[in-house]
Amino acid sequence: MPNMVNITVDDQKLKAPEGAILLQVLIDNGISVPHFCYHEALGPDGNCRMCMVEIEGQKRPQISCDTRVKKEMVVYTKNESINDLKRSILELELLSHPVDCPICDQAGECSLQDYYMEFGLNESRRPKEEKKLKDKKLDIGKNIILDQERCVLCARCTRFTQEITHTNELAIIGRGNDARVSTLPGQQMHTAYAMNIIDLCPVGALTSKDFRFRQRVWFMHSAPSICHGCAKGCNIHVDHNQEKYKSDTIFRFRPRINKSINGHFICDEGRLSYKQENEERLDDFYHQNRRISQENALSYLLRYLHDENTLFVVSPSLCTEELVIIQKLAERFDIKMNAYHDPYTDPDFGDDWLRSQDRASNLAAVKKLGIPTSKEELLIELGKTKVVVNFDHKALCENNAETQNMLVNKTQIHFVSHLFPECKNHELLLPIASYSEQKGTLINEDGILQKFEAGLCNEKKNLLELLHIINATPETVEQVWDEILAEKFGLAYETISAEGKQL
Amino acid sequence: MITRIVSKNFEIPNSHTLAVAKANGVYESIDKAFTQPSYVIETEIENSGLRGKGGGGAPAGAKWCLATRAQEMDQTSAKSYLVVNADESEPGTFKDRQIMEFDPHLLIEGMMLTCYAIGAHDAYIYIRGEYKFFADRLNKAIQEAYDDGLLGKKVKGFDYRLDITVHRGAGAYICGEKSALIESLEGNRGHPRLKPHKPSPEYYFGAPTLVNNIETIATVPYIVTNGAAAYRQYGTEKSPGTLLFGLSGHINKPGIYEMAFGESMQAFIDTIGGGVKNGKKLKAVIPGGASTPILNAQEVKEARLDYESMKEIGSALGTGGMIIMDEDTCMVSALKNLLSFYHHESCGQCTPCREGTAWVDGIIANILNKKAKADDLELLSDISKTMNGKTICVFAPAVAMVIDGFILRFRDEFEAYIQKSLGEADA
Amino acid sequence: MSFSFNSDNEKHFADLLPRYPHPKALVLPCLWMAQYQEGYISADAMDYIAKRLDIPQAHLYGVITFYTMFTLEPVATYHIQVCKTLSCELCGKGEIIRSIEETLGISVNESTPDNRFKLTEVECLGACGGAPMLSLNEEYHENLTVEKTKALLQRLAR
Repeated sequence: MPNMVNITVDDQKLKAPEGAILLQVLIDNGISVPHFCYHEALGPDGNCRMCMVEIEGQKRPQISCDTRVKKEMVVYTKNESINDLKRSILELELLSHPVDCPICDQAGECSLQDYYMEFGLNESRRPKEEKKLKDKKLDIGKNIILDQERCVLCARCTRFTQEITHTNELAIIGRGNDARVSTLPGQQMHTAYAMNIIDLCPVGALTSKDFRFRQRVWFMHSAPSICHGCAKGCNIHVDHNQEKYKSDTIFRFRPRINKSINGHFICDEGRLSYKQENEERLDDFYHQNRRISQENALSYLLRYLHDENTLFVVSPSLCTEELVIIQKLAERFDIKMNAYHDPYTDPDFGDDWLRSQDRASNLAAVKKLGIPTSKEELLIELGKTKVVVNFDHKALCENNAETQNMLVNKTQIHFVSHLFPECKNHELLLPIASYSEQKGTLINEDGILQKFEAGLCNEKKNLLELLHIINATPETVEQVWDEILAEKFGLAYETISAEGKQL
Repeated sequence: MITRIVSKNFEIPNSHTLAVAKANGVYESIDKAFTQPSYVIETEIENSGLRGKGGGGAPAGAKWCLATRAQEMDQTSAKSYLVVNADESEPGTFKDRQIMEFDPHLLIEGMMLTCYAIGAHDAYIYIRGEYKFFADRLNKAIQEAYDDGLLGKKVKGFDYRLDITVHRGAGAYICGEKSALIESLEGNRGHPRLKPHKPSPEYYFGAPTLVNNIETIATVPYIVTNGAAAYRQYGTEKSPGTLLFGLSGHINKPGIYEMAFGESMQAFIDTIGGGVKNGKKLKAVIPGGASTPILNAQEVKEARLDYESMKEIGSALGTGGMIIMDEDTCMVSALKNLLSFYHHESCGQCTPCREGTAWVDGIIANILNKKAKADDLELLSDISKTMNGKTICVFAPAVAMVIDGFILRFRDEFEAYIQKSLGEADA
Repeated sequence: MSFSFNSDNEKHFADLLPRYPHPKALVLPCLWMAQYQEGYISADAMDYIAKRLDIPQAHLYGVITFYTMFTLEPVATYHIQVCKTLSCELCGKGEIIRSIEETLGISVNESTPDNRFKLTEVECLGACGGAPMLSLNEEYHENLTVEKTKALLQRLAR
């Protein structure tokens, strides 16, 4: 445990860990100190010179990213000389910066803009004809567009590829004010985590090709959620907006900081998985390809549950609350459940960082609830039943010989969020909300229980709401916890913090 | 006025060959030095007050101490290195090449003594890429030394291995900055490193490393052979010894002349340098390589060539390479010439230098081309303030001081150019 | 088309390797060897050196572009680099440049059509006492006059 010492910042007393990086301490205490090259995940680089502060006893201002906390340190982040200095350094950063704001995707979340509005607000003292011209709009692969003119050479992106992914695709080339970020000529980004440099870049030098020109950031709302792409459970922000006459649409996922799980980053595949949330949604209830009402659909369902031998196949990516409510329904009708997990294993996807070879997002909860997952058991049960109720299990939505074999001559009832090619073989189709439209909890592969919140507000009913109608089980996540899960896990829903809880 | 300590053998024909070098006293210090404990040499260097001759003038003894102490504390490898800085790229400076051309064996002797003192068994001479002739000459001398058993597994029969390797740079002034030099030697771009918060040696691949200018190392044999007191006979109390001073520009006898510290700059220019070319009057002198503040003719009269005196009159001794400018020199052109140099050589790592050097180069070009704006001098001073003391290394502060020096002493010339610009703008 | 060191360079590499604490340190010596071998640093040479020293290619590219003396493209047979910094400018570098430009019919940064000569201006070469001067294929020619310069060019033209 680091030793906590007293320091004074702008005449306010603070406690800080001795030896910690001063800039991080200031950031953690909500004191705004401008910076480009420092990043919590990458450490300091000392090249932008924006984070300078005055330290009593030192005759020159010091960069706070290269200063360690010492006890009784007295720091000034905002006096006249530091403000002057910040403005001067910012002026130099902006010297050759193209006035691209109207067409730059970074606008609204750009450090240069923010600092300029905070303490710049000066006219340019160099005519724009003298600005240094570099390459713009370079497609460097993996959905990344590089604009060398906008770059402030903070080296965050190059350090990411050198020190985090060790793939070394980016380097700074040239010298002096001719220096620029580049890949090896003819080469492209190839790491599975490439798009993280878009978040790392404090300005619009690295932007997402996928997001390019699609939305202004100040129109979007952010919901804290969890990527459902694998068992790692990386934390994300779901950025969405409902434009006029359109439905609420997700425009991008961004990483959300969770020091216990994904740090500051997510993988590219998870980042781009937002697309699936928007596309190919099932919107209505269908019975043998005819649209019906929700009421009728649920009646049909009940009839099958009462009369026929049924099997529930559940997706191991459903949230914990959905799993336990389905379990209640299964108990009532003495129906077996299986969360057949084999199709969710992908050894090619897994790596030693944020990508798990388990592509299901809640297998840990499945196991904790005692739901079987093996293929053998599934086949045995399938042999005994006539009706298969699929709760969003992706294998049963796939068009391959194995699935067709399993479902041949079976009555198919699908609770799914998305359309799938073979869905016309259904008996019943019931649309449910997808994870971005509801809240819930997941347990990741390391046993960390996490909450995620609803992002979009579309009018889809979620599974809890539908099953409440036919089984009077708890309707909301909070109620599920109050009545069932709090006892099972020995903790209250409210006590699950943003970082999650290790079980 | 001329004092020959390091340049003792320069005028002897073939002084660069082993036979002639040996015949003239080179390598005589080795036998005694290697039988004594290594701290004897370090103590002698400290007592001599030897100051680094790369432009900074920092005490060499203290620097050596940092390397040896760090090596003692380093339990993992207990290795240390010597790197000789032969990256001589400061405009107006051409002294280190003389040693490489005329007495490379003196340098090797100095390196042997220094390595023994700090416990280093591997030494590198980082030489600027353009100095191909001198690199070749060094390599030949080093080969002669190896063949003669002066280098290699057993230095002159002593149980001490020493290997010296010449490492060629490839054209980057900033690689003369010692931490950038180490970065370059490690196979990286020559980006200076952030400075430690307490006195610390350099680290080459994690091992304590001493970086010294080549002339500093070439002075070591004299001090070891003749003692600290003998060295202190020359120069002043705070700037003992000699320096290879240089003269170039509008001077009758350009060249390198070794002198004790403390001589009068005017006397040096007139007596040794033969005065200003073509009988013109002296206008200005840049005293110690481009990165030192310029002096006008009046200040030259009062200037003395040692570190303290130069600091007192608001300049610096630097490398002692004086650039002489006569009465017809246009100061605005001269400043443009230097700012172009700095713009080209900035490594680009930190913001104030990368953008500042480019900006001031643009402004001085505008002034020269009569496209200036009325407040361009204030703008230059403003930018100079931002570049001074706010960067990773001292490159930008040097540029700032150059600008300030020129504007302070020759302001009316700059203002005249600006007037012309405004006149043109009106027309 | 791939690159490998010729036998002399291979010998030199083998001699240098044990002298440094880490193979990475051989970046500059290897780049020099490759440049002398082919006249410039080709993409194949970059690939070879990166693999040989086990360093990332992008890093090597960043190193090469940092230094003035490395070239990624072939240069003319005679590369004339005239020093342009202060002492040389004070001592008449302008005249030297003009005489070269007139004699060869090219301007600074250009090459003659037969690619025999290229003229560039470079920063201080450390020969201020011999100003004005130029470096011709890394060989210094100091204390130039217009006559000496023209004579030099004539000798090279043959």
